[in-house]
Amino acid sequence: MSELWLDGNGVAGTLTEVFGAEVTAIARTCGSCGTTAAVGAHRAYRGAGLVLRCPSCADVAIRIAQLPDRNVVLVRGSWSVELPRS
Amino acid sequence: MSVLLAPRAVTWRVATVTELIQETPQAVTIVLDLPDWPGHVAGQHVDIRLTAPDGYQAQRSYSIASGPDEGRLALTVERIDDGEVSPYLTTVLEQGDELELRGPIGAHFTWRVERGGPLLLIGGGSGLVPLMSMLRHRAARGSDADTRLLLSARTQDDVLYADELREAPGLRIHRTLTRERPDGWEGYDRRVDRAMLEEVGPPPHERPHVFVCGPTGFVEVVADALVELGHDPAAIHAERFGPTG
Repeated sequence: MSELWLDGNGVAGTLTEVFGAEVTAIARTCGSCGTTAAVGAHRAYRGAGLVLRCPSCADVAIRIAQLPDRNVVLVRGSWSVELPRS
Repeated sequence: MSVLLAPRAVTWRVATVTELIQETPQAVTIVLDLPDWPGHVAGQHVDIRLTAPDGYQAQRSYSIASGPDEGRLALTVERIDDGEVSPYLTTVLEQGDELELRGPIGAHFTWRVERGGPLLLIGGGSGLVPLMSMLRHRAARGSDADTRLLLSARTQDDVLYADELREAPGLRIHRTLTRERPDGWEGYDRRVDRAMLEEVGPPPHERPHVFVCGPTGFVEVVADALVELGHDPAAIHAERFGPTG
């Protein structure tokens, strides 16, 4: 309870920056425990960067290091994402 | 499941403050004018970015309080005394000032009247803000969807939108004051717990859409109790405040 974490939807702005589209309503399946949950329902930890974790087993779903000129992104597990073509 | 995503730029825009409304001693509603605002869905938020003269930037997320049918953008911000951004927004900001923001943001913690009810909205303190957008949307569209609002605040003075919160067809409002209660108080007098949630309803078998917003500890307790009562975890949408302001 004292851990400093938010919900995936709370960091939707940064996720949109990375994916180029809104992703909090899409489902992601954890590669570790197999739980499927909306990205917005994942746990978001903010520190030097941003880490999203599975709400069930806390395995890492995505790690985003925010550098001055770019985001460095590590994505894990199964993400089903449809991104608009432009 | 996959969802077709609508194109959405997350560009920063400059909004102008058109009105400031002191809601409670701690909270201010900021009404903004944004010429190219694309409209929002109830429950969404915006990111606000402040830049100091030396280039230092601080960014926070704030829920949208106005309903999507109002054609305006209003945020309600609660002051966190040792915060970095909220003291500026609640005590320094003036009408006519400009603010840098991006949004609307978020698709998970949202409700449209077309989704119908039953709806269970549970707010702790200023966690009421995004829920108010849903209630304003519901009212503007003349919905009578079964809606229960459970509102927790420390004292009556801390209750946001007190004058606007009225029961309506299909809408029942339950209040709990956790620290101090006026004489003759008829609402609850304790923190939200499982027994309270059971009384407020609707029961899990009616499969309500549940939205819980508030401080981390509040959301944690409420979400756990809801799951214990048998609510589908996938139907429980949560939005926690961070420790920073």
